[in-house]
This record gives sequence, structure tokens and C-alpha cells, in this order.
Amino acid sequence: MLRMVKRFNAENPDIQALMQRMDWATCYNKLFVAGMGGRAPELFVVHTRAIQRFARAGFLRENDDLMSGANGIDLADLDANVWKGVEYHGKHYGLPLDVHAMGMYYNRKLFREAGIVDAQGTPRPPTNREEFLDAAKRLTIPGSGGRPDQWGFVFTNWESNIYTIMRQFGGEFFTPDYQKCIVNNAENVAALQFCVDLIRRYKVAPPPENFDSWIGFRQGKVAMAFEGIYMLADLQKQSDLDFSGAPVPQMGDHIAVWADSHNLCMRSDLSGEKLAATWRFIKYLSDNSLDWAAGGQIPTRPSRRNSPRFQQMSVQSAFARQVPYVNYLPRLPFIFEFQTEFGLALEKALRGRATPADALQVAQDNINRIIARDREANEAAGRGISA
Amino acid sequence: MTSRRNLSRYTGYFFALPYLILFTGFVLLPLFYGLTLSLFRWEMLSPLPAQFVGIANFQEAFHDNYFWQALGTTLRFVLLAMPPTIGLALLIAAGLRAAPTKRQSFYRAAYFLPTIMTISVAGILWRWFYNSEFGLFNAFLAPAGVKIPWITDVRWAMPSIVLMTLWWTIGGPMMALLAGLQNIPISYYEAASIDGAKPGTQFWRITLPLLRPVLLFVVVLNVIGSVQVFGQVYMITRGGPELSTRTLVQYIYETAFNNYRMGYAAALSWLLFVLIALFSFIQFRLMREQ
Repeated sequence: MLRMVKRFNAENPDIQALMQRMDWATCYNKLFVAGMGGRAPELFVVHTRAIQRFARAGFLRENDDLMSGANGIDLADLDANVWKGVEYHGKHYGLPLDVHAMGMYYNRKLFREAGIVDAQGTPRPPTNREEFLDAAKRLTIPGSGGRPDQWGFVFTNWESNIYTIMRQFGGEFFTPDYQKCIVNNAENVAALQFCVDLIRRYKVAPPPENFDSWIGFRQGKVAMAFEGIYMLADLQKQSDLDFSGAPVPQMGDHIAVWADSHNLCMRSDLSGEKLAATWRFIKYLSDNSLDWAAGGQIPTRPSRRNSPRFQQMSVQSAFARQVPYVNYLPRLPFIFEFQTEFGLALEKALRGRATPADALQVAQDNINRIIARDREANEAAGRGISA
Repeated sequence: MTSRRNLSRYTGYFFALPYLILFTGFVLLPLFYGLTLSLFRWEMLSPLPAQFVGIANFQEAFHDNYFWQALGTTLRFVLLAMPPTIGLALLIAAGLRAAPTKRQSFYRAAYFLPTIMTISVAGILWRWFYNSEFGLFNAFLAPAGVKIPWITDVRWAMPSIVLMTLWWTIGGPMMALLAGLQNIPISYYEAASIDGAKPGTQFWRITLPLLRPVLLFVVVLNVIGSVQVFGQVYMITRGGPELSTRTLVQYIYETAFNNYRMGYAAALSWLLFVLIALFSFIQFRLMREQ
């Protein structure tokens, strides 16, 4: 990104963009406090899952006018689900730069050893539930002392992994108007039960109490893991790991996969020259998003994804095939509270400390309480949840 | 003469002034600002201005399971961490007192060293130590075929935090207790020995009673510090697994800076403040009675 900024500055002598890196753990806090004091930068990055809260707080400038303006971007060059992610009450509040979808990383060496290969001897990643279970079983190898030496699969990020499987089972999270949380439904319970079964019944994934999941994959002790495209750079540094990427297998009747996006957002009070300059920079980054992709990202715009250069990035392009059907987290201004409740339910179920239905019921009750509180505080101002 | 005496009456305040200014600006004023805030519903995510809600935030806390859970976790931490910290600090101090001066200063520095480390560094360090796959501790245990889920199991997580805290904080109480021990004249022990008192008796009859003021001081400080535990938990477990190590301060932090519910967070902070004040009051009363 820094190289892109430098090049932009060189090509546009009338504009100077200064970049500041920040740790994600504290970025939103700092951004929020800066925004409160009116000291936010002109341009900043907000994840799709957090767009609702920033838009509602009035920190973001809408960009529908700029998209359709002279220096605009063709909306046909954006996937509808991705563009919808930055919408709040009918307006759009950022330009998605990438889609960091989750995908399946698999260890090619372990696949070959287990004989899961096609006629040419190339490892053949599973694409549906049957193939996935079969592969996971064949890739789980018992070791001494009853503990497998090698696991077929591992849950890395519970939230994104299980959210995906729930969506694939057709599970809904809210009523269409977002007035009620319905996470405890038959589809989600079945999906969560399937995940628990991978650990407890089929024993093809390690229990979460005592396993460092992603490290396990990197050490070659795990054959398959679902992780975001942003983990690619991490793996590419490791020369002794023979891995590749594929779309997440379809476990249920629906195709779905978790994703989030980095969106380029503008401070709400921008106008005049500053606004024009900022937008020019945003458009430059979007137009050149293939450079961003090279570092382990997937560009939002199909025109960029269809280019030969992107097609050569094998893992990125494999993951990118999922973009048209990616699912973002629910559109909530109180997304972090939702994530706490949802994450806790998954944790309890995976650890076998509650049944999937019981765990999801607790989450559902708590989230409905949050909705009620939020409605009381915001609905009167016309700032309720935007479905 | 009189004016001079009047002046000297205020000299003390003059010397205290720099601190008083800082104390007022950075402690007292925020404290009361927080109290005001705790009576408002102010959510930074909402475009609405802050709204006066009376004691509604406090009422919410009393019905908030997460508040009670965090409070329980905090008290559990205090009960698990304070006795071994003080006990071990006293043991080390007693041992150091008996050591020759040169060696004593070396060990004193060694035991105090972890305390000067910032919590972020110490926390990251211990998170690696505790890693169940390739952590230092499990590497030591591997030959015995033991693998402990230090921070990933609900039963182990809190004791692991306590163990790390022990290592990190033992230096302070140890120093204070050592100073206290050194203030007890050697001649008392000599007289006791002549009278035939065994070391154990000497400890219970001489050391402990004379050390009491220092001991109480150390206990009070330790409890106040423990109730506010945050850094090590946040760095090592983030409050997990299953929120089993989420303490009150972390809950307040998350309420304020993840969920931006400032009024409610201020109310929770004030409840914590009352709790600490209560502890301190009881302990200082005990101290005065002695």
C-alpha cells in the first residue's frame, strides 16, 4: 500500500497523500475518538461489518454522487452484494477496495500422501460435504497414545468458519427488517451440530481446548483449514509448506462463504478541493487494486479480477471465484456486541459445554435485548437499523 | 513573627501544589465528570445527544449478568492472587534478610526485575510461554507426556493468569516487607534465642506482630491493585475462554471502547470505585485498630 501511495504522489504532484498505519486492535477506537474531536483523516479504511456504526454516528460522507460523477466508477463493475455492504438507509458510505473472502487452504503434500488426487496425481480438494468428510477422515492419522498425529481439518476462526457453514445450511440470523434476532433456528442448529460432530463424532478436527489451530496448519499437522485470503502472505513466507487454495466446500444446500471488505471511506465534512483530491486518490487505489491484490487480497472490481495478471495469482483467483456469493456479517450498528454473543455461543457448543440449541438460544435472547435497547435509543431519530 | 508563622503554615501546601494540580486535573475532575456521565445515556454510535436518565445505568448493571460475572471473576482473581503474593513475598523477604548484604542486593534486584517490565511485554511473553503447542512450559513438560491447556481451558485459565501475576508483581510487596523486616531490631531475636525460643516461635511472636503495619499496608495496596486487574488478562486471554477471565475493568473497557456506551461504562466504573473504597475502608479500619 505504501508503494501505491508513493506512486500516486509522484504521478499527482498537486496532491500529497500521507499514510499512517495502525494496528487493527486499536484502530477503530482511535478513529472514533479522532472523529468525535473532528480530527479524523480525510480518508480511512472501515470494514464492511463496521460501516453501519460509523455511518449512523455521522462520521462518513456518502459517495453515490461521486460514483456517478465525471470521475466515477461504473456500478456494473462492482458485485451487488459487495456494494450493498456499504449501504446505510439507501445511501452508500464507502468504496470497497477488496473482498477478503474466506477460502480453503489445503496441504498438497498430505493430500498426495492420502491418495486424494485426480488422474494426473494432482491433489483434489473437496467441493461438497461428502467429499469433505471423506477427505477429512482419510487425512486424520492416529498417533501414539490415542491422539491423532495429523488432523483432517481444524476450526481456526470459529466465527467466520461456522458463520459460513450456517449460511450454507440456509440459516438466517435476523428477520428481514432486522427487528428480531432468530439465530436459534433449525438450520443454524443443524449447522452447528455438524461442526461439533467434526470434533466429537467423526473426530477429524481437534477439540479447541488444546490446539493452536492455524499454527497446526502451518506446521503441516493439519490438512485443511478455512481462513481469510489475508493469511496467504503468512503462508507464502514459508517455503517448506506445499499448500494451495480452493473455494470452501459446500456443506449444505446453499452456496455461501464469509467475507469482509476494506472500504475506502471519507470524513463526513469533506468538500471542495479536498473532496475532489480525496476522491481522485480513492479512484486511483481502486483502479490499481491489482497491486493491492498482489499482497494477498482480492480486488472488488470484476474487471480487475478477470485480468490475466490476477488469474495468475492462483490462491487469490481460487478464492475470488466465491465473490459473487460471499456473505458479510449481519448489518448491525452494534456488530461487536453481536459478535461477542455469537462467538460465545459457538465457543460453548464446540467445547461441548452446551448443546447447539441451548447456546444459540442464550445468544438470541441477549441479542434481542440489545436490539430493544438500541431501538429505544435511536429509532426516534430515524437512525434505526438499516435493513 | 506572626506573619512568618502564618506563612510557614502554608509552606506545606506550596510543596504539595504541583501534585495537587495534577491530581485535580487528571484524577479528581475526571472522577466527577465520570459520575455525571454515569447518569446519562451517551452512546457515541448514536447521533443523538446525551440524555439524562437518572440511575437507569446503575439499575441496568444490577440486572446485567455480564456485570455480575465480571465482578465474580474479579473477586476470584483477588482471592487467588493476593494470599500467595503476600505469602511468597514474605517468605522471600525473610530469606533475603538472612542473606549476606551483597548477595541480598543481587537477589532483591532479580526479584524486582519483572515488576519494571511493562505489562504488554510481560503479557506477550507469557502468552508464548503458555502456548499449548510450542510454549516453553509445555516443552518442559513434554518428556513427561504432559500437555497442559494453560490458557485455553476454563479450569486452567485463571490459575495461569494468577501464576503470571505472581511472577510479575511479587517484587513490590517483597521490597516493602524486606524494609519492614529490617526495621525490627536484631536484639529482639537475640534476646528470644537466649530465652530458648525456636525460629518458628520467633517468627510468630516477634516478626509477625512487629511487621503488622507494613503487612497491612502491603495487603491493602495489593487488593486495590488486584481488583483493577486488566493488563495481563487482556494480553494473555482477552477474557476467554468463554469469558471465564473477563474481569470488571475489561468489561468496562469493552463497554466504553468497543460498544461506545459511555454512560453505562461510567456507571460501571463508579461501582468499581465504590467496591475499592469499601475494601480500603475496611482494611484501614483494621489497621487503625491495631
